[in-house]
Amino acid sequence: MALILIRTSPRKPKKGEVTKLSVVVRHPMEPGTRRDEEGNLIPAKYITELEVTLNGKRVAFVRPSRGVSANPLFAFKIKAEPGEVRVVYRDTSGETGEKTYTLKVAE
Amino acid sequence: MDRRKFLKGTGALLAVLGVGRGSWVRAQAGAQVPTVEDVQDLENLNKGLKEALGITFDRLEPSDQVRIGAPKIAESGANVPVEVVVDLPPAEVKGVHCFVDKNPFPHLFSTEFGTKAAESYFATRIRIAETAPIRIVVETQDGRFLLASHVTRVTVGGCG
Repeated sequence: MALILIRTSPRKPKKGEVTKLSVVVRHPMEPGTRRDEEGNLIPAKYITELEVTLNGKRVAFVRPSRGVSANPLFAFKIKAEPGEVRVVYRDTSGETGEKTYTLKVAE
Repeated sequence: MDRRKFLKGTGALLAVLGVGRGSWVRAQAGAQVPTVEDVQDLENLNKGLKEALGITFDRLEPSDQVRIGAPKIAESGANVPVEVVVDLPPAEVKGVHCFVDKNPFPHLFSTEFGTKAAESYFATRIRIAETAPIRIVVETQDGRFLLASHVTRVTVGGCG
């Protein structure tokens, strides 16, 4: 099961402040073009869909491909509001992952 | 030779060498990052554009409303940070698409913004197979395709 990290910068933004929201997924993003020591192709396995929502409404929908780095980072800009950030992804093998993060704001 | 003359002479010689050396280094640094035209591959780029968007390069309008933040030189092509800022509200942006001319799979990602995006901003890390332009294509809601290009020189490729 892949690990998803969610972080904001600043860590505790003021309400309404434009805030950078960073998501890192621990995922090999195997492009399907690499070979192992025996020269066999390593099958492709990469994230094809990733959705980020804030309090149930979409921040962004990303369709990465094999050209995105391993353990990919995705960053967005949101207006800080208290509530829940949710990240859901799906990869080429059908594996899915999700993570929620409670966003706290300074009044 | 008297001492004063000697010192003047070597001083002047060193100054000449110093200046010469400095401009040589600057010329080298200038030559390190090629221009877009030097390293583009429109045929391969068109392959990706057609597959992802159903268009070709001649549909793209170069625009300074699209800005790319990426290094000029990357030691490894496996992990190149790319930051995109579009000077349009997220509601006017239908999609942000990334291509690299010389990658075996030239389309890298597409991103759509939702109502909770505060700015048309997106950042990620990409693989670059060899020195080539990174292309950010911004599809607007009124059907235009804005283009920004940025060359990153890669010393070790990131696709194999």
